[in-house]
Amino acid sequence: MSASALPQTAVQTESRARAFRLWVTAGPGLFWIILFLLIPSAVLLGIGFLSSNDYGSPVMPLTSQPFQQVAGFSLLGWDDGNIIIFLRSLEQAGIATVVTALLAYPLVFFIMTRPESVRPLLMLFIVLPSWTNQVVRTYAWLELLGPNAPLTWVAHALHIVPPDLGIAPGGFAVTTGLAYNYLPYMIVPLYASAERLDWTLVEAGRDLYASGFKLFWHTVFPQTIPGLLSGIIFVAIPAFGDYVVPQLLGGDRALMIGSLIANQFTETPDWPYGAALTIIMLVFTAAGLITFRIMSRKLGGEGEATI
Amino acid sequence: MSNVVPRSVRNMLSAISWPVYILLYTPLALVALYSFAPAPNHSGHSLHAYSVLFADGDVGAALQRSLILAIGSATVSTALGTLLGYGLCRFRKPNARGVAANLPSLIIYTPIIMPSLVFGISELIFFNFVHSTTGLLGAGLLTMVIAHITFQVPYVALTVFARLAGLDPNLFEASNDLYANGIKSFFYLTVPVVRPAIIGGFLLGITLSIDDFTISFFTSGPGSVTLPIYIYGAIARKGISPEINALGTLMIGTIIVLAILHFFINRHRERASQLPV
Repeated sequence: MSASALPQTAVQTESRARAFRLWVTAGPGLFWIILFLLIPSAVLLGIGFLSSNDYGSPVMPLTSQPFQQVAGFSLLGWDDGNIIIFLRSLEQAGIATVVTALLAYPLVFFIMTRPESVRPLLMLFIVLPSWTNQVVRTYAWLELLGPNAPLTWVAHALHIVPPDLGIAPGGFAVTTGLAYNYLPYMIVPLYASAERLDWTLVEAGRDLYASGFKLFWHTVFPQTIPGLLSGIIFVAIPAFGDYVVPQLLGGDRALMIGSLIANQFTETPDWPYGAALTIIMLVFTAAGLITFRIMSRKLGGEGEATI
Repeated sequence: MSNVVPRSVRNMLSAISWPVYILLYTPLALVALYSFAPAPNHSGHSLHAYSVLFADGDVGAALQRSLILAIGSATVSTALGTLLGYGLCRFRKPNARGVAANLPSLIIYTPIIMPSLVFGISELIFFNFVHSTTGLLGAGLLTMVIAHITFQVPYVALTVFARLAGLDPNLFEASNDLYANGIKSFFYLTVPVVRPAIIGGFLLGITLSIDDFTISFFTSGPGSVTLPIYIYGAIARKGISPEINALGTLMIGTIIVLAILHFFINRHRERASQLPV
């Protein structure tokens, strides 16, 4: 049946041409990411299963020793240091997420109640600080929280912080720095949700004599859950593994997982141990990501034009 | 729509929000304020820190490297990302399912999701390995540019893709019917139509490059100190000085001025394009 064979080949040729064009256009970019990120990170993960020589470089044979080190076992016995650092990182990321969410709701609805023409400008001034360099906007907090800075004087007067110490370096300064750095990442998705809000539901709720917080909780809040969940992902995940903030504002008193990992590749090299720490951190990150994705699917998060 | 919100709630929202706006800019303002510290043995405000800064050759060299890094990486990533976004939007099999079909998306989202510390350390190990086996790609400005391109490509691709996905597919059909071949149609139809997205992607790339410290830190060598690395090193060695504040002020000021300019130019253009023809 040549009549049906002809369109078949035409379809095949077109499909081949399409595949060829896909390779020519998308190929270079994808190849670049594979070569310069996927392969390097696979190597990093692999190093976590190797032994360490005297210089901290990875050598054969395969071993689970780096992971025992992560769990706190060493020649000196067991030590809870790493577990404390992991828990502290989780706690810092958690508090930063809650703080940004609590600030984001009033800010987003404040912007929503302003005239439509000024809203983009108000959003711009939310995002603007995050366009300045990480190091600059983080060290800027030392001007408020450092040993000889205004808020530290207040803390001294209230006897919250011992004299001759600053609020920074310390845990509270890290929380502040993380919340400051990631606030826009909570506000932007939440604002996108608020823009699509169906206000007729709110009016219906009011007609049923609901008011105040109850009205918000039953009519507004459920509609913002997709934005909130994206915000939680955008804040909690990078805050958990942040390097700059604990490094500049935390000091030794508030060491976080990011600094612990970095130390294994800079100051006191032990690559396999650092790689094993990275693997554990990524497992936590992936678990968080998957949990929130499933939640947002169940709670009716809608997709935008994404690849 | 928002007239549902009663006046008392509006007042409460304002009472919370304005202080947050002030708090967002207080640390940055203090950096600027302390940059006008008096010269040693003098009182009052001065531009002393700025004159010290401008006389420092290291800062000039770091600025030059930062600019090369930002513009160089954003240029390459705009080219790669535009092609990538275009290709995925136009030539991917429609409605394809399965792992193979989703592979490009997985690859594109990896640099976005990966914590920048893991990103930086992966590059450190990779470049170290390549350098020790082949002698190429020693840690320096080139390795930094490569790393910056890698994290920018997905953002450019997503920007261009979103713009193309919002277009009428018949546009491309029409262009084909007018006997434009693939390359012609790309340069005469696609590029002009997605130009705002390409420019946006380029600016986003520059912003991401200027913002970054962590990835730069792990891919830099002793001879490739950029402005953020310079500031970080100076603070780690001897704490904050008026010179560092002066440098910080200039960096913050430049970004704020450029962002506000960009915002108002864009708004002006949008208004102009909405006028009835």
